[in-house]
Amino acid sequence: MSALGGAKPAGGATGIAPVPAVISLVIFVIIFALMYMVGTPLAMTALIGIVIGGLLIGFGVHFVPVGGAPAAMGQAPGIATGVAMLAAGGGLAGLFGGAWAASQGTLVAVVTGAIGGGLMLAITCFFVNFVYIYGMGIPAASGKVKKDPITGDSQVEYKSQGTEGHGLPFVSFTGGVIGGLLGGAGGTLIYLMLLDVYQASLPGIMKATAVQIQPIAVSLAGMFAIGIFLVIAVLAAYNITGTIEGPHDPKFKRFPRALIACAVASALCGVMAILLVMV
Amino acid sequence: MDNIVFSIGITALAGALAAVAGAAENVESDIGSQGDPNSQVQLAPQMGYIHRIYNKAIAGEPPAWGLWIALGAGIAWAFMAMQINPILAIVLGAGLATFVQGVYSTTAYLGRTASLSKFGQPVYIDIIKSMTTVTMAHAFVAIFATVTLCHLMNAALGHPFPLPLLGLVWGIALGAAGSATGNPYYGKERQYQTQNFGAGVPISASGNIVRYAEAGERNSLDNGYFTSKLGGAAAGVCFGLIVFLELWRTVLFEKVGAGWGAIIVGVIIILVFTVIDRYIEVWARKNYGPYTKPTEETAS
Repeated sequence: MSALGGAKPAGGATGIAPVPAVISLVIFVIIFALMYMVGTPLAMTALIGIVIGGLLIGFGVHFVPVGGAPAAMGQAPGIATGVAMLAAGGGLAGLFGGAWAASQGTLVAVVTGAIGGGLMLAITCFFVNFVYIYGMGIPAASGKVKKDPITGDSQVEYKSQGTEGHGLPFVSFTGGVIGGLLGGAGGTLIYLMLLDVYQASLPGIMKATAVQIQPIAVSLAGMFAIGIFLVIAVLAAYNITGTIEGPHDPKFKRFPRALIACAVASALCGVMAILLVMV
Repeated sequence: MDNIVFSIGITALAGALAAVAGAAENVESDIGSQGDPNSQVQLAPQMGYIHRIYNKAIAGEPPAWGLWIALGAGIAWAFMAMQINPILAIVLGAGLATFVQGVYSTTAYLGRTASLSKFGQPVYIDIIKSMTTVTMAHAFVAIFATVTLCHLMNAALGHPFPLPLLGLVWGIALGAAGSATGNPYYGKERQYQTQNFGAGVPISASGNIVRYAEAGERNSLDNGYFTSKLGGAAAGVCFGLIVFLELWRTVLFEKVGAGWGAIIVGVIIILVFTVIDRYIEVWARKNYGPYTKPTEETAS
């Protein structure tokens, strides 16, 4: 069900359907009510952190320029792989760095994770353009805008005949880096929130010291963080439906409804991950 | 000081292993036709172009490599827990994961090709025999190198994640970097070698992949030979730089400014890559020029 009225951009329906949105809101409230009843204040804080992390990932996926199979033939701009998987590659590389910096405080760890994700995608996006330009002799051109919104470079005449564009114009490169930053930050935040909960709960449950449970806490938090990351990334990829050029793509405007879905999905996954050690 | 020197050495070794892994991953992907370009290999018989190219897109490259490397790392981890020498454990883990890759490859080729029988595409048994083992060999190199670098991160650099989890993280990152870098070179430059150089493949040409070589029909080993010269090397350098720079900034600057040193260095590295990217983008626009005159295009 699409929103009524108004011209539809090339990216398809961007409206939020009211019935699913209300159902999502109800599920969201029920999850938080459940956590309020059975959880501790720490668990509640963790759940809020997980939802924020999920929103960051869901929003970040929309920035990553992914062209899928057409990009592999130079028929469309973007990176020639899947949306969810590329975002996961960048975000998880960020999570790697963030988890390493966990002992230095939440803020430092989250920013470290963000930079790790941004770094991975900056290098990857650069090599995409490197292969297009020096391997295939093809300049970057967007198929969705006449001018690059950041540099002002004209795009239309740089599209080769019979294609929708190719490579990564500067706005797409920037979108990739922003997507990596948000994904890395979101993944790390989810990991840190779960780690706090497990570090507080596991010693009592397993009747062991904090040092003894540390490897289990880290492993559990890491597994759930990766799992939640993939759930959110795939959900956001469904909203994109295949390919997106970056923040200038009309499909980018669809992100609000992805945020609703990502908030509910991350809350649901988060409550399960937390209740594992609460009930 | 010794500790820092040791860590830098491990970082360099991990970067080198990552470069080998990236290159092997990409060549495996091109010989096995694993990534997005396989859409054309699948499409070609439906357009009437029967071919002898391997056809095994098991999944997207990132999840496939996430599986194989997590599997190799998990098995190696279990062997290490049994007090087996780490090198032997990693070799065994990588070997067993490679067999899983081989099983997936065989079933994927048979299943995908059999689904094209209504279009007259035969299942070539000699293709299975000669190509599957080559993809397995490349997969072994990539899995062994990646599991080894994950072990170095965990055992030598002290990353808190256990080996299988590191394997999953870096397996997905390896697949993402390798497919992003290598897919266009295999998909456009090799499969559509007859199309104009320096231009994308027109959508109308979809499915018309190159099927003949200098002598006889082209097969996927020819594709691996071709793509290893640029796509494979670029994927290797890409993944190598990702691993090396991520570890380097952490190892050297983590203690500076209570963690902010590594962050600032990371931002600087991102900016450097942004500037280089912009430079080559402008360089290409100046040197290759537009395909059509701007005035004509805007008038239309």
